[in-house]
Amino acid sequence: MEYLLHILVISGIYIILTLSLNLIVGYTGLPTLGHAAFSCIGAYVSSLLALNFGVSPWIGLIIGACAGALLGVVIGYPSLRLKGDYLALTTFGLGVIVYSIAKNWVSVTRGPMGLPGIPQFSVFGVQLSEIWLYLILVGVFVWVTIFVMRRIVNSPFGRILRSIREDEIASEAMGKDTAKHKLLVFIIGAFFAAIAGSLYAHYITFIDPSSFTVMESITILLMVIFGGMGSITGSIVGATILVVFPELLRFLGMPSSIAAQTRQMIYGLLLIVLMIKRPQGIMGRYRFK
Amino acid sequence: MIPQLIVNGIIAGSIYALVALGFTVIYRTVKFFHFAHGVVYTAGAYLAYTVAREQLSDVSGQVSIFVWIFAVFVGVVGAGALGVVINKLVYYPLRQRKASNLIFLLASFGVFIFIQNLIALIYGNQILTLRTGPIKEGHHFLGAVITDIQILILVVSGLLLVILWLFIQRTKLGKAMRAVSDDPIAASVVGINPEKTILASFVIGSVLAGAAGILISLETNIEPTMGFSVLLKGIIASIIGGIGSIPGAMFGGFFLGLAENLGIWKISAGWKDSIAFAILIIFLLVRPRGILGTK
Repeated sequence: MEYLLHILVISGIYIILTLSLNLIVGYTGLPTLGHAAFSCIGAYVSSLLALNFGVSPWIGLIIGACAGALLGVVIGYPSLRLKGDYLALTTFGLGVIVYSIAKNWVSVTRGPMGLPGIPQFSVFGVQLSEIWLYLILVGVFVWVTIFVMRRIVNSPFGRILRSIREDEIASEAMGKDTAKHKLLVFIIGAFFAAIAGSLYAHYITFIDPSSFTVMESITILLMVIFGGMGSITGSIVGATILVVFPELLRFLGMPSSIAAQTRQMIYGLLLIVLMIKRPQGIMGRYRFK
Repeated sequence: MIPQLIVNGIIAGSIYALVALGFTVIYRTVKFFHFAHGVVYTAGAYLAYTVAREQLSDVSGQVSIFVWIFAVFVGVVGAGALGVVINKLVYYPLRQRKASNLIFLLASFGVFIFIQNLIALIYGNQILTLRTGPIKEGHHFLGAVITDIQILILVVSGLLLVILWLFIQRTKLGKAMRAVSDDPIAASVVGINPEKTILASFVIGSVLAGAAGILISLETNIEPTMGFSVLLKGIIASIIGGIGSIPGAMFGGFFLGLAENLGIWKISAGWKDSIAFAILIIFLLVRPRGILGTK
């Protein structure tokens, strides 16, 4: 039961990550391969604040999310000048740089040794150390994210995002400030991804750079594509299936060392098959141009 | 210190140049980022290891020259075959569907992840080595130390660079590859089969990657994730040299090798990847056509 709840918490965190990436990739059509960098900064900022200065995880979460948004500006900036595969490569590179900062800035992040003993969230003095309590907290955050994303994509702002995706020049010709919108979309996406990172850190109570590799970014992108590019329901379904399904491998009695590799192989194969057979995903409407 | 860093930079650069060249040869005909190139490099090293393994476990440690030649042959041919298989099973269906560059890129990422983890599953995650015998002290040369293996890497990669250059410039197939690169439609009008040319470019590019993988595994260790960093360096080298340009890829490889190794003179070696990507991002934002690129 504990295990099942744990899977649900992890699914919730991935749903937030997938939704925030879908806004950038699926709705605005900006290929991003460095999404884990945002959750990395959110996780590290709020953990370090809590460990070194005794800041409450709640305040840490907000500061972490703002730091993520700031990084969103940095990673989003190349999107003003670059397109397509070059943009993908640049965001990928920025993801690698953030990862290697977490790994090599040992005096602050403790590098590969990671940060143990991160305090948990508490509400009205009650520490959320029970998994089901934490599940409720994550559930609230997932609900808020879904609500905000729905509002964004159904607003005039969301229409501009889709117009950038479909035809950027036409959108500019209509007098829309595409540069501003692209940066904003990165800021919003990064903000939510940083929240997800912070939720993860205060749940597991230990983080190290290996949770925020570029493979992680690709896994999140795979969830977006699998569920459906530019579909909120799709992202929820995609994240949940891709978190839950590999867990089934454990029930087949596979040792964990082999299971990790088998999971990656399935992800790789799924990515290939999706690209050949259905690049827009299960419920998607948009495919990469 | 500085002469040693320059020597290390040139040796790293020669490996980057080989990977970048293989990548560029493929890029010129297909025009997308073939990320799975990195895993072909890894596969080359592992195939050679598989052949030499029986001999390596021998206590005497002396592997006969014939076993070495056979191991290198298997590694290189296997890498070439892997390139062909990837092209046939993944890229050919995508070309039939006229997929966009990004879709190709993501599919090749999928291939990369799949094969890398397959290798990890077969051989395990531990670090293996192709080195044999006792470690000899290197030669002292202008204040730097260079080992026999490093000289071998330099000579072989230099030879491969020259052979490839002559092949592209002088042979009929090389000319066909240049033609497809410049204008695939015009090339098919004059009777060049684009599919055959793409196939040839995958064979040549993958063979170069396999050779680079074997060469580096003589110098350092092999592990399933070894292809990732080198592939990124190869791609970065091709872009800063000027994407699609063969001299650019060579130049970019050496430039990157030197920049990285001189960069760690002041800061720790863990930042190598960051230095490479910082250079890439600066180039993409300031001079996207690269040093030797044309447009």
